[in-house]
Amino acid sequence: MTISPDDDFAAAEYALGTLDASERATLAARRLREPELDEAIRSWEARLAPLAEAAPEIEPPRDLWPAIEARIRGASPDAPGNGTIVELERSIRRWRAMAIAASVLAGVLAIGFVARETTRRSAPHEYVAILQKDAASPAFAVTVNLDKQELTVRPVAAQAPPGKSYELWIIDAKLGAPRSLGVIGDTPRGASLSAYDPAVVAGATYAVTVEPPGGSPDGKPSGTPVFVGKLIPVSP
Amino acid sequence: MTIRGGAPGGRAPTGAGDDLSNLLSRIATRDASAFAALYKQTNAKLYGVVARILTRGDAAADALQEVYVRIWEKAGEFDPLKGSPLAWMATIARNRALDEVRRVRPVSVEDQPEGFELAAEEIDPLAARERSEGLSALVDCLKALDEEKRAIVLLAYYRGSSREALAKRFGRPVPTIKTWLHRSLAQLRDCLAS
Repeated sequence: MTISPDDDFAAAEYALGTLDASERATLAARRLREPELDEAIRSWEARLAPLAEAAPEIEPPRDLWPAIEARIRGASPDAPGNGTIVELERSIRRWRAMAIAASVLAGVLAIGFVARETTRRSAPHEYVAILQKDAASPAFAVTVNLDKQELTVRPVAAQAPPGKSYELWIIDAKLGAPRSLGVIGDTPRGASLSAYDPAVVAGATYAVTVEPPGGSPDGKPSGTPVFVGKLIPVSP
Repeated sequence: MTIRGGAPGGRAPTGAGDDLSNLLSRIATRDASAFAALYKQTNAKLYGVVARILTRGDAAADALQEVYVRIWEKAGEFDPLKGSPLAWMATIARNRALDEVRRVRPVSVEDQPEGFELAAEEIDPLAARERSEGLSALVDCLKALDEEKRAIVLLAYYRGSSREALAKRFGRPVPTIKTWLHRSLAQLRDCLAS
């Protein structure tokens, strides 16, 4: 195992369930990008999983089957009450061909920022993150200017599932719970980061969740992130 | 119950586990009748997992619904060499329940469930009469922990107790609980590897 002992304990506590909301969200975001951490979590889940055998059965209080059946048959796009994950994964499949081209484009965008920003100013504090699940899925390009305390997010072949919105979050242990940076529209969108410590901004994890239209109703992510990334300095 | 893992190249043992594995591989091909059969066989088991963590109102029922949608979507990812079908499904169920319980109540009060009929019941896997190979190995390792430390691991697993809830229940500071958890988990890992 090549991960640090601290990360292995975090993975163990994630599997056991004792992490708090913020730690749990952070690890859920990191595992999407860090295969070794993901593997460590899976190993811990496998070690503990036999305990579930000893949990006595409980009959569910109401008949849930019709609702579940309706959800899995919701393959038609207009079916009501589709789960965000079902929707999203279906969408990802639909975008796959297009997204391979998009990921190339995302790379080009990142390189584009490097070239443009380094020639424009001597020492701008520019950072970029490509939020992406894997090379074949849609992506968001996030750029941060620390001097101006501005963030811009640009969807790259990423379209929210019908009736849902994508919302961007900043996640860092110092912030406690994930903080919303707003709903992501179809066009590049800016957000102010003046409320955040530059060190936190530079080191934080950025994550996108699928939310009801207009964003999370209670200011907290409604589910685990579907896209995550960390900032990379474009120039010193 | 099922036998975890399996010899390389060997066939999975017959029994409930084999049936569930077959059902999962059929579900991966979008076989809705296999999914209905899987639901019938496992819903009380998985509800037993989520309802001990999500003890309020309809939260457990709603979570169970999400769990089955996820099983439907992810069935193709199940790998019989990495564990039993039930262990795989229970992991999905626990993760969903834990995401929910932490999200709804960041400061946990799950040590005081309201009118929850199972509040007094604690699960003792050490007393389980029927055990898979995997559970037997884990139980042997759990026996090597101090009683209090073992109780903490089991409460965290079965009830989704947070460090804060465990600290309150055992009258210890949160950092002590964290240290104990780390030691207990490391001990379990080393014991299972030996």
